[in-house]
Formats: sequence, C-alpha cells, structure tokens
Amino acid sequence: MQRRSFLRSAGACGAVTGLAGCLGSVGIGDSNPDVVLEEPERRFESSDVPYPAWGEPVPDTTVPAPLDSRDVRLRDIETPSLLTFFYSHCQTVCPVLISTQRNIQAHAKNNGYGDAVSFFPMTFDPARDTAQRLRTYAEEMNVDADSENWHFLRPASKQRAKAVVQDQFGVAFQRTDPEDMDMYMFTHAALTLLVNADGFVERAYRSKSPNEGTILADLQTVRTA
Amino acid sequence: MNRRQTVAAIAGLGLTGGSLWVAQTGLPGMTSRSDTELPLRVETLDARGSTAGETLVPTPGTVTVVDLFATWCAPCDDQLEVLRAIRSEYDDVSFISVTNERPSETFTRADIAAWWNRNGGAWTVGLDPGSELLAAFGAGGLPYIAIVDEHGAIEFGHSGLAGTETLRDQLDPLV
Repeated sequence: MQRRSFLRSAGACGAVTGLAGCLGSVGIGDSNPDVVLEEPERRFESSDVPYPAWGEPVPDTTVPAPLDSRDVRLRDIETPSLLTFFYSHCQTVCPVLISTQRNIQAHAKNNGYGDAVSFFPMTFDPARDTAQRLRTYAEEMNVDADSENWHFLRPASKQRAKAVVQDQFGVAFQRTDPEDMDMYMFTHAALTLLVNADGFVERAYRSKSPNEGTILADLQTVRTA
Repeated sequence: MNRRQTVAAIAGLGLTGGSLWVAQTGLPGMTSRSDTELPLRVETLDARGSTAGETLVPTPGTVTVVDLFATWCAPCDDQLEVLRAIRSEYDDVSFISVTNERPSETFTRADIAAWWNRNGGAWTVGLDPGSELLAAFGAGGLPYIAIVDEHGAIEFGHSGLAGTETLRDQLDPLV
C-alpha cells in the first residue's frame, strides 16, 4: 500500500475508531466480514483505485430505472447484483459487457435462481439512451428486460452521469467525434461489479470481456454463502 | 473523486474505442489456448445445413474453418456472407459456426436458428454457452475466425471481419 493512500484511508476512519481499529477495515487483514469472497490477488489495496473494489460499500447513490418508472437506491438492493456501465451506441466493449450480463441472466433463469440475482447496467449517455431506446437495445441484445431482475439505470442528465458514473464509480468516459462516423461516441473504461446483498463489492472485474465462468462461480459463492 | 483520481482511472483502466465490435480479452492468461483442450464437443442446432445433436470442434481429421459469432454482433452477419461466398470453393473443408450466447426461455435455440436461416447460414451451427471455444482459441473478439489443419493445429486466428481473399490465402496451402 502506498503511503499516501494509507494515510488517506487512516484519515478517513481514524476519527471514529482510532488508527489500530482502522487497519483491519481497510484491507490490511486477510479477511473482511462484509464480504464472502477472499481478497483477490492483486498488487494494490481497494482504497488505491478510483472504483469501488473488494470489501468497499457500493456508492450511496440513487438513479432512475426508466423501464420500471422508479428510482433505485443502490444500497437498498437486497439480492447479490451485477453492475456495469455502458452506452447503447457503443460498438466495441459495451455489447460484450451487456451480453455477458445477459448470458448470466439466462444462466440464472435456466438454473432456477433468477430471483436471487439482479442486474443493473447503467448508461452514461442519457441524452440518447431514453427509455424507448433502452427497450430497443434490450431486444437487439436478447436481454429479457421485462424480467424482475433486469433494471437499466439512467442518470437524469449529462451532469448527473458524470457525477455518478465517473465520480462515484470511478468509470472514466469521454466523448469523442470519430471522423468516420456520423455520431458521437465515447472512450471509456470497462468495469463490472459483483455486489453482495449487503451492498459491499465482492469483485470488480476490469476486463473488457469479463470471463463469464469466473463471474458465475463468484456469484454462486456469494449467493449461497 | 478528485481530478487526480480521474486521471489515474483513465491511465489505470485503459480507454477503449475504435469501430470494430472487438471484444478484447481482459487478462492475459485467462483465455490462453492451453486452458482448454481442443477439440471440444458442442451442441448443434436444427437449422439450415445443420442438425440437432453434437459435434467436435474442430472436425477431427479435416481442415476446419471455425466461425465464432453472436447474433447481436452486426459484423458477424457480414462474416457469414463472406463464408457463404467461399464455401463452395472448398468442398473438403469443414465449416462450423458457434455462438457463445446462452439460450433461455426468452431467447431460444429456435431464435438462433431463425437468425441463422435469415442470414444465409448453410452448415453446422452450434452453441458454446460457457464460451469455452472462445477461451480455447484465445479469441480476442467477435467475429473470430480460426482455421485448423487436419492434424488439429491452429493455422490462423483472426478477430474482426475476415475477407474472402484473406481466407483463401489461408486455406489454399492447407487443402
């Protein structure tokens, strides 16, 4: 752990519990009572990265779910859940991220645990990803968006998308205007989160093509714990 | 998140762009060819040129063109058209297309078969719901074309749309 981020972590909770009490909760110990999965093998601590990582709580944020006509407070979700960040006009990474979620949704339904997992793909392009567009996109991607467990999330404005996706979830995105295309696109980071029923991040998969088998195995561990 | 963290996020995660439907494999080693032994047995569908059952991929003892696709992948339609264009030139070559989409109640085998028929598929089409073939070939995107010789050696692997000339150049020395 870098000294700077160590100090930041210690500062964040030191006032409450004192330094000694803090160390265990920032990941220096081997285990964390808030999560089921063991700390992943990696060369950094969760507090070193801008996205919510292993053992950290999901950001306390509320985002509209336009196809459900309601708002979702992420900390109130009561099942293990998968989150990812996308925009529907994306032709590279997003269809892969969404199709991975879709295949896991199908696996859950086929294996009788459809109500024990929830899916929250969040767009960062609210200008184009209207409710109608998201419905069309779901059909293109063969997603069962009418299922109780699938909820597209759409921040209400461009500013709100920046605030939630970039600032709270640490998923950087930037608009581009490719010369060979007649519409704007985004460059963006890839992130899929597995969050447990208590709202803590079990795994942050940073891959542009997440390994479905790995997520299915992790999800099984989390939901049967 | 402050600005420094934003910059770190961009540098740390890597930004993605471009205009291909390429699914970059995330972690080196996760999809290495040694993870899974070829050939793999896959379920096949009842569709034009294909019968329900199972088959080995690649086809043992035969030069095989393996086309990995998904129905949501627009260039995969084009790849099917390219394969259709050259297939008649290679009577001794086995063609097989496989999707990693997992059938469900709402997106069934019949839906995949309908997509296949609509796009002019006319050979064996199969399912790889666990993406094991993608992993075994180390596929870095969709569409992904692999060409395997009659001994099972992978001679060619290509992410993104592969054109007729590219495929002919690869197949001609093998047949």
